[in-house]
Amino acid sequence: MTTPILVVDRVTKRFAGHTAVDGLSLSVIPGAIYGLLGPNGAGKTTTIRMIMNILVPDEGSVQLFGGTGTARDYSGRIGFLPEERGLYPKMRVLDVLLFLAETKGVDRRSARPKALDWLERLGLTDWRMRKVSDLSKGMQQKVQFISTLLHEPDLVLLDEPFAGLDPVNAEVMRETVLDLRRHGKTIVFSTHIMEQAEKLCDHVCIIAKGKKLIDDTLGRVKETHGGRHVTVAFDGTQGNAPQVFADRRLVAKATDFGQYAELELAPNADAQDILKALVGSGARLSRFELTAPSLHKIFIDLVGPAAARPEAVPNQGAVHA
Amino acid sequence: MRKVLAVIRREFVERVRTKMFWVMAVLGPVFFAALVFLPILFSRAGGVKRIVVVDGTAGAIGAQVVDALQRTKFVNPDRIATGPGVVDSLTREVGAKRLDGFLILTEALVDSGKAEYRASNVSSFATNATIESALSRIANAARLERAGVNPAVVAQAQIRIDLATKKISGSKTTGENAAQSFSLAYFMAIILYMAILLYGVNVMSSVLEEKTTRIVEVLVSSLRPFELMLGKVLGVGAVSLFQFVIWGVSARLLISQRSRLVGQQGLQDAGQVFQIPAVTLETAAIFIAYFLGGFLLYSSMYAAVGAISSNEQEARQAQQPVNFTLVIAFMAMFALLNDPGSKLAVTLSLIPFTSPIAMPVRWAAGSLPAREIALSLGLLVIAIVLVTWMASRIYRVGILMTGKRPSIRELVRWVRAG
Repeated sequence: MTTPILVVDRVTKRFAGHTAVDGLSLSVIPGAIYGLLGPNGAGKTTTIRMIMNILVPDEGSVQLFGGTGTARDYSGRIGFLPEERGLYPKMRVLDVLLFLAETKGVDRRSARPKALDWLERLGLTDWRMRKVSDLSKGMQQKVQFISTLLHEPDLVLLDEPFAGLDPVNAEVMRETVLDLRRHGKTIVFSTHIMEQAEKLCDHVCIIAKGKKLIDDTLGRVKETHGGRHVTVAFDGTQGNAPQVFADRRLVAKATDFGQYAELELAPNADAQDILKALVGSGARLSRFELTAPSLHKIFIDLVGPAAARPEAVPNQGAVHA
Repeated sequence: MRKVLAVIRREFVERVRTKMFWVMAVLGPVFFAALVFLPILFSRAGGVKRIVVVDGTAGAIGAQVVDALQRTKFVNPDRIATGPGVVDSLTREVGAKRLDGFLILTEALVDSGKAEYRASNVSSFATNATIESALSRIANAARLERAGVNPAVVAQAQIRIDLATKKISGSKTTGENAAQSFSLAYFMAIILYMAILLYGVNVMSSVLEEKTTRIVEVLVSSLRPFELMLGKVLGVGAVSLFQFVIWGVSARLLISQRSRLVGQQGLQDAGQVFQIPAVTLETAAIFIAYFLGGFLLYSSMYAAVGAISSNEQEARQAQQPVNFTLVIAFMAMFALLNDPGSKLAVTLSLIPFTSPIAMPVRWAAGSLPAREIALSLGLLVIAIVLVTWMASRIYRVGILMTGKRPSIRELVRWVRAG
């Protein structure tokens, strides 16, 4: 067992009238891609802010790199992408990158070639001398992403890294995260988009209302919360398929997406019987497959539509939970 | 410390790169040049008045008046003997703007000191005073001569008084006169006030920018808030010093070329209220010391104001108490100039919030004991330390806070909380 690079030990954070994070514990081992998942208002950002020492926990503690210092003491080894992005709008792109690298203890001379490399890699070379405000939102995001990684941190904390990215840039982001892991870095990121988490994470932690619901490797989460699943896709007509889905002798739970559906088998039911019943119902099938459940489904099952509702965010203090 | 340097560097470079900085760098000397040249231009603005002296006196009085007026260079007089219809035709001339006015002299000038000046504009103090003084000299002389006094004695008695004022600084008599002392004090107060306000507000908007763009979250995860505030204040302070250097150099050039420029314009270097004071090394040192002190004191307050506001509008409101304190310090200048040694003046030059303007003004207006300056500077330093400490505590909490502005009670709690 390797020493965790990040330990969050029973932290609690309360804001006027509500508890954003409630006795949450996490442990991240080096080299992991760790997903902090949860609906809006679950406490993801508050947790990350406490890890970064921007907020001080009311109870509990955060330990980084097995030491006693705060995130600021290790700022050269941590890359942090906050949920609310922002750069100096009037500064030139390259100058912003060099300045932010400097604040993390990298001197300008060695930061410069790295910044140029990154700009090249993300297709921003021609923009390096332009003002940040001249860039599109997506390009600004990329610049901010570069600033998070320029100083080659060992631990990277990304708060909603995919928010606001178009599919192409989201793909670039995904590649970059995977590349970081190949270089032995540890990545912790928060998201409420399960598809992304499922593609990237090897460890997931699902929280809701400030409490932890699941904390395990992706494989084991799927095993334990999986049950037996069938994915059915329709070729135009559903026929009487909904009646089959409602048959509790065959199907324990069905998530109907219209064009396709995810079914959880009832105990002792046989998938072949469902197939027969569906064919009998007049539905035209384009796919019938025994699958592991998607993380999305596990998430919805666990959190429930009710808890998935975003909580009202009080306006006092930095409480974007 | 390297991180603080990075912040200082950013503030400095980004500010010096702005157009605003260079506009100020150019406008400063233009403003300065205006103060040097405008008085000369204004003194000529009225131009030379063309008037006619309607001479109804016997003897040489009329000719003497014309001669005396001629010598003032402000009036260009002609002499006409009085007669029927003269006044009417002259009135028409004035109405047609071919003439500025006319002066009616009769024997009454010497007898009872009466004369009449009719003109399209009788509110020009300069013209009125010029005519009055010329007339009174001549009338006095005529009266004395009529009473049998020897004309040579009269001439002797009428030698002009030239009161030379020289400021004693330390125990040395300087070449500086009253007008120069006044303009030096006045300049210093204006520049100190404007610079502290301008650069203080600069610090405030810089804090606000980082807060509203949320980049502050990234910054405070690698720098202590105090380091960030310190870097900001020092960076903007360095910009202001750089601005002063530019101004200082251009002002020096301007002054050294002044007589040449004035000569080229064909202007007379006369009649100016604002004379160029001799700026000694001590004066420059006092100015810089109090500017830096005042800037450090006020800019940390402005930093706190920026930190508790979440947009420009809120900041404009929240900065009012700070601005007000500065305005008081500036306004006090007028009381100080009247009597730099008064109890009020001494008090204001010791209170840290007013001393950055009050003390340099008192220094310029008259010399001060070194002990008083040391005490005032000492108090200023103590205030800077205290105010910066308080401001940094407000700043630390404020920059990460969103939503409504905190109340005074909350601010007190932030300062108290460890």
